[in-house]
Amino acid sequence: MTAGRSLPITVRQVGKRYGDLRALDDVDLDVRSGEFLTLLGPSGSGKTTLLMVLAGFARPDHGSIRFGENEVIRLPPHRRDVGVVFQSYALFPHMSVAGNIGFPLRLRKVPRAEIARRVEQALDLVQLSGLGGRRVDALSGGQRQRVALARAVVFAPRILLMDEPLSALDKQLREHMQIELRSLHARLGMTTICVTHDQREALTMSDRVAVIDRGRIMQIDTPRALYERPANRFVAGFVGQSFFLPVTRHGGAVHLDGCALRIAGPVPEGAAHLLLRPERLRILAAPEDGLNLLRGTVMSLAYQGESVLVQVVLAGGARIAVRTGAAASALPAEGAAVLLGLAPEDTVLLADAAA
Amino acid sequence: MQRRSLLGTAIAAAALPLGARRARAAEELTVVSWGGAFQDAQSKALFQPAAKALGITVKEETYSGLAELRLRAKSGAVTWDVVSSGSGTSARAGVEGLLEKLDYHVIDVKDFIPGTYADYYIGGDAFATVAAWNTKTYGQAGPQSWADFWDAKKFPGTRAYRNTVTLEPALMADGVPPDQVYAVLSAPGGIDRAIRKMQELKPHVAVWWSSGAQSAQLMKDGAVDMVAGWNGRFDDARKSGAQVAYTFNQALLDYDCFVVPKGAPHRDLAMRFVAEISKPEYQAALTRYITYGPTNRRAYDIGAIPADYAATLPSAPANTAKELLIDDGWYMKYTQQAAQAYQDMMTQ
Amino acid sequence: MRAAPHAALLRRDAARERLALAGLSVPALLLVGATMILPVGWLFVLSFLDDSGAPSLANYRRLLARPAYARILFATFEISILTTALCIVLGYLLAYALAQLPRRWAALGMLGVLMPFWTSILVRTYAWLVLLQRDGVINVWGMRLGLWHAPLALVYNLPGTLIGLVHIMLPFLVLPAYGAMRAVQRDHLRAAASLGATPVQVFWRVFFPLTLPGVAAGALIVFILCLGSFVTPAVLGGGKVLMAANAVASDVELFFNWGAASALGAVLLVLTFALLFLATRLVRLERLFGSEAP
Repeated sequence: MTAGRSLPITVRQVGKRYGDLRALDDVDLDVRSGEFLTLLGPSGSGKTTLLMVLAGFARPDHGSIRFGENEVIRLPPHRRDVGVVFQSYALFPHMSVAGNIGFPLRLRKVPRAEIARRVEQALDLVQLSGLGGRRVDALSGGQRQRVALARAVVFAPRILLMDEPLSALDKQLREHMQIELRSLHARLGMTTICVTHDQREALTMSDRVAVIDRGRIMQIDTPRALYERPANRFVAGFVGQSFFLPVTRHGGAVHLDGCALRIAGPVPEGAAHLLLRPERLRILAAPEDGLNLLRGTVMSLAYQGESVLVQVVLAGGARIAVRTGAAASALPAEGAAVLLGLAPEDTVLLADAAA
Repeated sequence: MQRRSLLGTAIAAAALPLGARRARAAEELTVVSWGGAFQDAQSKALFQPAAKALGITVKEETYSGLAELRLRAKSGAVTWDVVSSGSGTSARAGVEGLLEKLDYHVIDVKDFIPGTYADYYIGGDAFATVAAWNTKTYGQAGPQSWADFWDAKKFPGTRAYRNTVTLEPALMADGVPPDQVYAVLSAPGGIDRAIRKMQELKPHVAVWWSSGAQSAQLMKDGAVDMVAGWNGRFDDARKSGAQVAYTFNQALLDYDCFVVPKGAPHRDLAMRFVAEISKPEYQAALTRYITYGPTNRRAYDIGAIPADYAATLPSAPANTAKELLIDDGWYMKYTQQAAQAYQDMMTQ
Repeated sequence: MRAAPHAALLRRDAARERLALAGLSVPALLLVGATMILPVGWLFVLSFLDDSGAPSLANYRRLLARPAYARILFATFEISILTTALCIVLGYLLAYALAQLPRRWAALGMLGVLMPFWTSILVRTYAWLVLLQRDGVINVWGMRLGLWHAPLALVYNLPGTLIGLVHIMLPFLVLPAYGAMRAVQRDHLRAAASLGATPVQVFWRVFFPLTLPGVAAGALIVFILCLGSFVTPAVLGGGKVLMAANAVASDVELFFNWGAASALGAVLLVLTFALLFLATRLVRLERLFGSEAP
């Protein structure tokens, strides 16, 4: 990433209360220069509040926010030089597309010809060349999204904030735009923070994802680390589909339903649960060496197109699900006994929360 | 044969209640006036006692002015029998053909002030446009003539004047003797002369009043120092605490009158009704409710009006000597022309 | 070959539905026709008839010949435009203040704004008299406090008329302006700020333009209502402020036929349409060449 096009963000002890509700509970966050970071969390988790505080729209109770070396916590929004993309897009209906995109440049007293050039460039960037003269209300949802994006980056801010930027789009377009945002970010290189409640979107777009719950950052990690090694049950439950099975200890060994588990990764101290992901379980025809084996009975099958979700009751009584290929030949029948295999590297133990 | 007689019976049956209704309706007269305190006084002193005397019932209504009468007459929907109206308005309505000629075989006018009755209308009460002043500003030594009213040096202060044609005071202020006023106004250039004089007054006119109530309110509020307005209104204002005095000197004696609209449903009864309320005892009774004087001079002679009260009425003989009786003939002829000149003057 | 099933019947159903919907507007159309178009049209015809009922331009010739009419029409537009301008400034500020309040307080404030609607126009106008006249509350206190030494002429003149008219007309501006302000999305203002607009720039370049349609609607209502105002100029103008409605009233009394007054009404109507047409053209031009278009 080019220095000068982006700035690191340092958040320290930022707190914000709304009455009794801690919207932000002493948040610390380091965003690297040029990084694409997603704030992921359920609604009411504080992720949007954090974004609003970063943009300057909400005033926190205390804390420090630095963009690069500059403390900005008391700066009003218009002096933060941050591009913001809103969930509603917030395009100005009384201006044309080009009028919207040129707005930040006009405020900066950029010469007319230069504005025209940069607006055209920005339109090009979001693949809307030639639509500058359109009225905003004559655009489709996807086009509006692109205009909002172009407007937020046209003045080359070194930080870009996006609040649920894709949530108003339909699924297909959303998935397409996720890729596009990612490549746009690669080209522009500005430090980007994006808020979403959609875990797939977060995993697809981000360099790192920060999972937020009740005003606190639960974990901040790469998408893979977040998925494979969630820090706690909340993260594991929020990112991907998970089942948690209690495990017992016998000396150094960890047992599930009386069988010792082979575990490749670290084993936490104290009480813990086994994290099961449906797609990491395999239905076996016969026991295989090197795998942890679970036995159960098929309750039902749900056909989901690219895969089939098999509901299984384990011998110990726990209900879990297994995702398997949709090929009809490999599918077990309802009521049949199944043998499930789990690789040691997919056998993840999560310590029960201390508090 | 049988059928026809059946039909005849039906017609007779239908006609019978109709005839009965008509007979009863003949005893009800619709009398119209301007409402408010004025009509209350008329009702108590004139309409209801006269109805009793004639053995009829009177239905009272209110109306807004000449335009309404005109509209009704033109659309042929006249339901009014007797209408109370202004003298100038009545004169013009007569010219426009909106009125029945009054039957002076029925109505006795031998004791009326000359000029307060005519073919189409008869005066019911007399009032005067007087120069009134704020006694807080001038004490008792207020303007005694229209020349004084016009004299802003001798009587500094703000004036209120009527917002529709009132030119006689202007000519009197300009030195025309009262008995010459209408001659001058009727002569070529007369209206212009009066208008020029009005322009002299205009800078000192704070308010051009549009209703009698407003002219009285102005005095009550002390909003202006002098008002050219109707005497009865100032008497009322004084009763409710206004510091106001006025003089009958050079006052314009005007009168309200009664007319019978053309096509009145009960024309003959209306004539008898007008005759009744024109009698001196009725006119004298009216003065008990409102300080407007009778037009029938005999009302002063029958002992119904105390002498000291009579002296305060605009039509008392001692006062009429100082006053100028309004000339409806002039208004009939010149109102439109004068009104336009007046409006031009006001908007200038 | 078989026709598609029910096609004709479904088409007929659709047509019937359209007809029924159109039918619903018939009473409204009849009402408008009976109460608006017919009488106005009738007056328009009358304005071209003379005293004897013969076709004539006499009424219009009189309007041209007499300077009073031009002055009255001028005064009518002058007062209406001034009132509208004052209402825009005051009403916008008022609506803005209300729009900043929490909704509950705003509702209370709006109640205050609407209060004049529940009072008779005559009462309101006379209430102003009590306040404004020579011995009125304002002059008495102003002089008692030594703010001025001779009574100010606050009423029975143009300023008095404007005060009264603005008071009466203000709600007509505040209501749509307030509505437009409440409809402005906070994101629009935030977006402008994030793009570098100072609070003043946010106001003028985003908030104000977004609320302009509401203001324009209100201003139009105020202007039209002002043109026809009668009581307020008559009372607070002290007879010196002659507006078209007052002149119409006096003409109705003065002339034998309705034509004289109708002609004045017709001219006022035509001038108003002309002015509004001009105004919409100007607004459209402003949109074309407005500063916010690149």
